Amino acid sequence: MRQTEHSETRQWLDQHGLTDTEPTPLLATRLAVRRRARLAGDVLLAAFLIGAALTHTLSRLTDAAYSWLPLPLLTALVVGLLVAQWLLRQWVRRVDRRAGAQLPRRVAHPVEFGWSAVLGRPYATFTVAAYTGALALAVSVLPVSDPVLRAGAAVVLIGLVGAGAGIVMQLRQMLTSPAVAEDEASLTAGVIMRVEDARALVTPSLVWSLPAIFLYGESLGWWNAVAIGLVLAGVVAFGLIQTRATAVGATARQAMIVR
Amino acid sequence: MIVIDAASPTPPYEQLRAQLARQIQDRSLAVGTRLPTVRRLAADLGLAVNTVGRAYRELEEAGLIETRGRAGSFVTAAGDQALEQAHRAARDYATIIARSGIDPAEAIRIVQAALGQPATP
Repeated sequence: MRQTEHSETRQWLDQHGLTDTEPTPLLATRLAVRRRARLAGDVLLAAFLIGAALTHTLSRLTDAAYSWLPLPLLTALVVGLLVAQWLLRQWVRRVDRRAGAQLPRRVAHPVEFGWSAVLGRPYATFTVAAYTGALALAVSVLPVSDPVLRAGAAVVLIGLVGAGAGIVMQLRQMLTSPAVAEDEASLTAGVIMRVEDARALVTPSLVWSLPAIFLYGESLGWWNAVAIGLVLAGVVAFGLIQTRATAVGATARQAMIVR
Repeated sequence: MIVIDAASPTPPYEQLRAQLARQIQDRSLAVGTRLPTVRRLAADLGLAVNTVGRAYRELEEAGLIETRGRAGSFVTAAGDQALEQAHRAARDYATIIARSGIDPAEAIRIVQAALGQPATP
């Protein structure tokens, strides 16, 4: 294990109250792949937003009467984003599996963790509320006469449905990923990673960005105010959940208590 | 926590069966707890599905767990079989006493005598 990996793992363990646990190559490998996957996920999301915004803008510039042709392109972008996210998760899984296969001793928890134990109800409720709010806004804008705005709403709908499906798919993958542990400490660390992965997954960056980027037409309207209102309310609610919710380490330990 | 040591001379299915049985009997795994699916536990422990399946089958034969179709495998009350039998016998005894009209205090003295304990005044 390299010195930087050792110190990064040490820092992560300390952050989650595992001060007595020694950094091991297993933990270092698992944490490193997660860091890389998260960075790649952020880049993918940024690329998707840029791609979607470019498609939207170019179609406005090229045709005064807004064409619906960009919709298949945007759908392809959503599908591309979902496939890429799925591949990233598969990569993490593959690295975990390879690390687990080398362990002479395997440890598991005798009780299966459900989504509520891993993600937590506050996060789940917030995610559903954020998606519902953004979807309701996009649907309410559809009957507006402005064709540019209508097309923007369609983009938001496609993006939200795609991103929602992606979250469900990835969360399922996370919950069903095998435990990779050699002792109690690495089992606890594994559950902490699961909780961290799940919380990072439901951060609603796309839900906040899509309406704010795409819901504008020839003039400003109530939809812009609602889109900004949703972002502000979402940021406040998300901040409150993050400060009030049980810390990741404590959530993982709670999940591990056999009921 | 379940530990499977590949270097141990005890076969993995027996390691798994023994640990689950012990946890069920000492109540670390409460009655009604849902166990992971065979496939899931096999993946977690890096074992073959058949190995975990065999351990589950033996636990089921011992009455420690029960499989309810697709709902999964659950810890049963069989860990406390003796206690359950005692409760059942006590209920039967109470029915006999009530039917025969014997005084409850006398009934308790009979039980105490049967247990070889001195009767309470």
